[in-house]
Amino acid sequence: MLQGPFFIPMKRFSLLIILLAVLSCRKENTADNSLSPAYPDYFPAPVYQFNNNTVNKDRFELGKKLFFDPVLSLDSTISCAKCHAQVHAFADHNVSLSAGINGLLGTRNSPSITNMIWSPTFMWDGGVNHIEVFSVAPITNHVEMGESMLSVIRKLNNITAYRTAFKKAYNIDEITDQAMLRALTAYMSMIISAGSKYDEYRQGKTSLSASELDGLNLFRQKCAGCHSEPLFTDYSYKNNGLDSVFNDLGRETITTNSNDRGKFKVPSLRNVELTYPYMHDGRFWSLREVLDHYSNGIVISPSLDASLQHSIPMTIQEKERIIEFLKTLTDWNLVSDQMFNK
Amino acid sequence: MKKLLKNLFAFAIIIFPLFMISCEKEQTATEGTVLVKLNHGWGMSGTSFALNTNLVHPMNGDTMNFSKYKYYISNLKLKKADGTFWVQPESYFLVDLSNSASSSISLNNVPVGDYTEISYTLGVDSARNVSGAQSGALATTNDMFWSWSTGYIMIKAEGTSPQSTNGSFSFHIGGFSGQYSAVQSKTASFGSNQLSVSGEKNTEIHFNVNTAMTWCNSGSCAAVNSVMMPSALSLQMATDFNNGFVFDKIVE
Ligand code: HEC
Ligand code: HEC
Repeated sequence: MLQGPFFIPMKRFSLLIILLAVLSCRKENTADNSLSPAYPDYFPAPVYQFNNNTVNKDRFELGKKLFFDPVLSLDSTISCAKCHAQVHAFADHNVSLSAGINGLLGTRNSPSITNMIWSPTFMWDGGVNHIEVFSVAPITNHVEMGESMLSVIRKLNNITAYRTAFKKAYNIDEITDQAMLRALTAYMSMIISAGSKYDEYRQGKTSLSASELDGLNLFRQKCAGCHSEPLFTDYSYKNNGLDSVFNDLGRETITTNSNDRGKFKVPSLRNVELTYPYMHDGRFWSLREVLDHYSNGIVISPSLDASLQHSIPMTIQEKERIIEFLKTLTDWNLVSDQMFNK
Repeated sequence: MKKLLKNLFAFAIIIFPLFMISCEKEQTATEGTVLVKLNHGWGMSGTSFALNTNLVHPMNGDTMNFSKYKYYISNLKLKKADGTFWVQPESYFLVDLSNSASSSISLNNVPVGDYTEISYTLGVDSARNVSGAQSGALATTNDMFWSWSTGYIMIKAEGTSPQSTNGSFSFHIGGFSGQYSAVQSKTASFGSNQLSVSGEKNTEIHFNVNTAMTWCNSGSCAAVNSVMMPSALSLQMATDFNNGFVFDKIVE
């Protein structure tokens, strides 16, 4: 039979187990590490599923640290934030083409990277199929950050602060590329632009002026076929009549299908007031130039979108109204939100 | 007394699983390990493949000196004599010819029994190409990943050749979707010599991989010294590589 001496430690043991169980439960509830992307009910469900990468504060903060850290580049001069600046709704600082390491210029305009969790593909040509693997592209591009993934991970593993932060965020002792890519994704996932005047109008919190409303209606007639609400893109690839001879083949680069020549991903127009210059190569410096392009500048080529074959006729006043409306898409809260700062 | 019983009960709950685990260990093995051994040759005449060595291509006569030869094999499964399959979980391997250990792939925890076939995929299945950041053999640090047009490179072979117009060659063969997808699944039947997994000793499945096959239809490096994206040619090269990947024998 079991006797006392054996018995008492068991009792203590079970007490210990219970205590541990209680403690571990507490940890999850009390330490408020929670953070999740919030968006209005008229937004669709995000494309990104957060599988194995639920956002929390630790992951967000780690991703932010990485986003601002030039250590991700070959010579420690270029960070993601350099080409994706919060004050410009996470596009570059009003340059046509962005400079990477050694001042080398890329061939495309740096886009605004808000609302990325809704994007089914990335890049102007849609070459990247998942937000988590996106960062491999700028890090390894020889005119952007010029690094190798192996070297970046080695560098990070030599920095104690990063080892601690990765341990906290992903519970790993050795930093991996997977965890780094997920942390950057956690940061980008939170960059949601849904606080513009347009959004307040959609939520019944404010009203648009008569000319802004006029602009919205014109926009719905003439532009929403591609720049559809509420994200102001349908994520399709279209040739909107910029060229007939293509220096950049656009979507064809990825599909090798000549029907895709000169097609580019329809960009979101949220915060468009802040993200000039415009188009994949940053050729237009003002919204007025963009609208003049749609009314008088359409260049015919085999892949030109059918809806633009006869341009988009607009009077000067209509153009002004549309521009007034486009300015209601500026999210001043987002560009000043301290949460995204270093 | 009631308290005593309660405690006894708690004790039993904790101890019982421990017993279970120790019992299992003492039983005769129900699982074994199978090694897939890849013997890399160059041509059909018994020449071994080697990096940093001048190798003359048996068909087009090019001299090729490889600095790099890496490829993916994935989704290994074994067919039992009764027609059911044992499927290896998380089955992704990067065979890197600069690292001889990677030419021996370990299939662990294979249930004891007789097997008649092995199936595998050369390249990485499309699911892992569209599911975001991966780890292990599929980590991007292995430098087998196209960042500008998402997807794993199936075969990466680089080096120098006097026949090449710029002195070097670089073949990155891959693509997981569309008409030029390089990913191909294959089955090799063991024929008369079945694989029997006993759990007592490791059994080996040997493959001969003729690494020269990749260039048997591509022509000389003088004409093509670089492939960087999916195309009809890259698909041809992937198919040729696959045809050079042949089951040899079972070694008990
Ligand atoms: C040298 C400037 C530069 C740097 C540094 C840079 N980017 Fe970019 N980014 C660009 C350009 C240019 C594009 C458009 C590329 C293309 O389409 O070919 C882009 C595109 C993107 C996109 C896709 C947007 C879309 O709608 O398709 C994301 C997301 C992004 N960058 C995130 C990042 C992250 C994260 C980093 C840091 C790891 C980073 N960028 C570093 C210039 C840069
Ligand atoms: C047929 C589809 C289509 C229609 C209709 C269309 N666009 Fe576009 N829009 C595009 C595409 C595609 C691009 C990117 C083209 C490129 O960079 O090569 C673009 C780019 C833009 C840009 C530049 C955004 C940036 O960040 O660079 C603005 C602004 C714009 N469109 C406004 C409008 C307005 C206003 C209308 C209506 C008058 C309109 N678009 C109608 C497809 C369309």
